[in-house]
Amino acid sequence: MNEKLRHYIDDLFANAPSTVRAVELKEEMYQNLMDKYNDLINEGKSEESAYNIAVASIGDVDSLIGALSGEKNTVNEKSRKRSAIMIAVAIALYILSPVPVILIQEEYGVMFLFLFAAVATGLLIYNGVTRERYVKADDTMVEEFKEWKQNGKQKNKAVDAILGSFWLIAVCVYIVVSFTTGAWHITWIIFLIAAAVASMIRGIFMLKQ
Amino acid sequence: MSVASELIRGNTETIILAQLMKGDGYGYMINKAILSLTGGKFELKEATLYTAFRRLEDAGCIVSYWGDETTGARRRYYSITDLGRESYRLRKKEWETAEAVIDKLLAEGEKGVSI
Repeated sequence: MNEKLRHYIDDLFANAPSTVRAVELKEEMYQNLMDKYNDLINEGKSEESAYNIAVASIGDVDSLIGALSGEKNTVNEKSRKRSAIMIAVAIALYILSPVPVILIQEEYGVMFLFLFAAVATGLLIYNGVTRERYVKADDTMVEEFKEWKQNGKQKNKAVDAILGSFWLIAVCVYIVVSFTTGAWHITWIIFLIAAAVASMIRGIFMLKQ
Repeated sequence: MSVASELIRGNTETIILAQLMKGDGYGYMINKAILSLTGGKFELKEATLYTAFRRLEDAGCIVSYWGDETTGARRRYYSITDLGRESYRLRKKEWETAEAVIDKLLAEGEKGVSI
């Protein structure tokens, strides 16, 4: 019967955002409901009627849970701003990255180019991973679809971003190793190794999901 | 929902503050105290209770902390703040004013009967 109560609460919170506040409220409600249920059993009620009385005492929690989503939106505004700044800086770095190559006509110029690109990509990854999930504005199908799409896209974005920077690093390593050793005939193997590692990264992410 | 419980519901926050004036408590404990004080006539819905808790917490009238129960799940306890005590006294005074006014106004009806 405890399981049944747990299920009931889970269903109530199915649409709640996954914030600390929501989880705490859920835990609090469950605990209080259990206390009530146990009290009713001790009073000599049957399991069935104790469950019914406990569930009936919850009342309408929609507005309560709705308020939790509202909180989230105010936070969203801030993170959107932060996200915009990070993207802007990253793009600026990408645009500026050829400048060192033009100014310093040596290998160091190329190294700076990759350094710029690496920092910019890092910013984009950080932005993609830490961005908040889409929270449904209401219960319509459209919003549900948006949330689903956003969450799916976000997972792919993280993998793509990591792989993107990984390939940049691979190219960087290839050029540096080739220039320093001069063994151009064999250094292309780096790309084979990189391909193997890239598919391993993808595999690890799939396993985690 | 009867009119009586509507009237009581308007004072949910004051009722909770009154309970917390006696000492810290958690949701079900407070609701049980209300139930026994009213002789089983009145009980807050969970949703109403938590909404009131959140509102009081946001207003700084109460603070919450998780208990360290050794057996079973942990409970969330609420504790009244100085601001909460002040708020309780204010709300109680407001209620008494409203009560006196309504008593006076409703007493008019009785006058008609006696004539």
